[in-house]
Amino acid sequence: MMELRRTLAGRVTLTAVATVILLFLALPIIVIIVTSFSNNAFAAFPPKAWTLNWYTSLFADGSKWPAALSLSALVACLSTVFSLVIGVTAATALTRSELPLRSAVYALVLGPLLIPQIVTALGLFLLFEPASMLGSPLAIALGHTVLASPIAVLILVATLRGIDERLEDAAASMGAGRLTIARRITFPLAAPGMIAAAIFSFITSFDEFYISQFLSSVDTVTLPVQIYNSLTFDIDPSVTAISALLIAGAILALALVALVRWLGSGRQDSLLSVENTAGIAAPGGEAV
Amino acid sequence: MAATLTANAPARPRKLLASRRTRIGILYALPVVVYLLVLFVYPILSTLFLSLKNTDGSLTLHWYAEALTGVNLSVLFTTLRISAETALFSLVFGFILANAISRLKPLWAGVAMLIVVVPHFISALVRTYGWIILLGDKGLVNQAMADLWIPGAPYQLLYNEIGVVIGTTSVMLPYTVLLLYGVMRGVDRRLLAAAASMGAGRVTIFRRVYLPLVAPGLASAGLLSFILSLGYYITPALMGGPQQTMIASLINQQVMKQNQWNGAAAEGVILLLLTFAGLLLVKLITSLGASRKKRSAS
Repeated sequence: MMELRRTLAGRVTLTAVATVILLFLALPIIVIIVTSFSNNAFAAFPPKAWTLNWYTSLFADGSKWPAALSLSALVACLSTVFSLVIGVTAATALTRSELPLRSAVYALVLGPLLIPQIVTALGLFLLFEPASMLGSPLAIALGHTVLASPIAVLILVATLRGIDERLEDAAASMGAGRLTIARRITFPLAAPGMIAAAIFSFITSFDEFYISQFLSSVDTVTLPVQIYNSLTFDIDPSVTAISALLIAGAILALALVALVRWLGSGRQDSLLSVENTAGIAAPGGEAV
Repeated sequence: MAATLTANAPARPRKLLASRRTRIGILYALPVVVYLLVLFVYPILSTLFLSLKNTDGSLTLHWYAEALTGVNLSVLFTTLRISAETALFSLVFGFILANAISRLKPLWAGVAMLIVVVPHFISALVRTYGWIILLGDKGLVNQAMADLWIPGAPYQLLYNEIGVVIGTTSVMLPYTVLLLYGVMRGVDRRLLAAAASMGAGRVTIFRRVYLPLVAPGLASAGLLSFILSLGYYITPALMGGPQQTMIASLINQQVMKQNQWNGAAAEGVILLLLTFAGLLLVKLITSLGASRKKRSAS
């Protein structure tokens, strides 16, 4: 009885402490969303009166936000395209070929994820400054791709590993060429992974701060750098509104990834069961 | 079914195919290798060269000497201290949270994991801004303390180390929770049951069986958040004062404000070396952990 009561007390304490830690993670985000509708964007929380002013002032005349937003969107789109091209080819090489120095390639791919981003940013600055490419969206996108492409490679390697190679072999045995296999078998099965890789590349580039700060110029500033500047130099209350929009965007993107994964999860099974019904399975084998 | 399909596949001319598969591999690996060599390896090597070069082009260790004296040295110590504090808090909070989640029913564990993962994908700048609103003199935290009649409130929670550590810990915490959750899920519950069947109490099981099993994971999770904090400055710059300047911030100032590229490069190389040392330790701990697991299994 004593033991039971002690276990119960322990469990209640653990749950309470864990809830506080979860609040610790969620609270800053909740506060931003609530404050973005607050009459007084800086001082008091919780707010006393509500307004949409900060959202409308985002797009007022002389606002710096539209330019920053469109630059970040452009850069993120470019970076996503680069990352996908690099990711798809690299993942194919790593999973569907006999690649010499495979572990060296892996180490190279992991490098940008392990090395402090500020060091990568400094190196890229030293590369682009002499070429007077600072402030160029292309340079920023090329820089972001250094961080985004390894993530795309890792997601796509996992995706291709998850695809049963017997399906590709089966198609080959029935006379399908390599292009047909890629188009009709591998691509449809890899599509959810490719969409996930694209979304994560986009988020990585869109949120990237260090490289952007080094490669920005006075009149080309990405959204994170603009947020940083308005939190340090010119206090602009509409920063709450843009932050709340970023939160909404991130949640939407993650929901999209989850949806795509969920939609794609049944595909391979259904293909394999088609083989079963087609009578490829040995008689008396697994239940059909 | 596996056997059937393999048997049905046509016999392949092995050698010919192998060489073709090698050629395809090299061709397809080219984009990533070339890209990262030009835009990642080369820039870092040029940083290294720059840190060793005098303004007239001769070799020198002057920039390192400068990086390791005076204000710059204290920035290095601040970086190590804030990173260590952050790692400690993320490890403790991460351990408690991951442990609690690993005991929850799947549905609630899923909800809790969502609260851990979603913030991780929201810009650290935005989350830091949330903390600035929360920790201000009239912020929610100080208000709650005042309402609870806690003496001394409002406390100064911003622009000092307390604020910085709160902020950076909340940024690093998702990493440690995810890592530790993976480690805890990997613990064989039968070992705990076996210890219990031999009469061990709950504390003994935790201390003698559970903790040794998760210890390598704990060590590498702590080291990882330490390494990640080393190169981080968004939160310290926004929530700290001049006393909380970190190496990454110093690098930024040296390039942007003082045009001091060589000094920045030397700071960058020091940061890189610290990171490598940390990663080496992680590698050592994981290989030690793996060999221990093998021994306990045999």
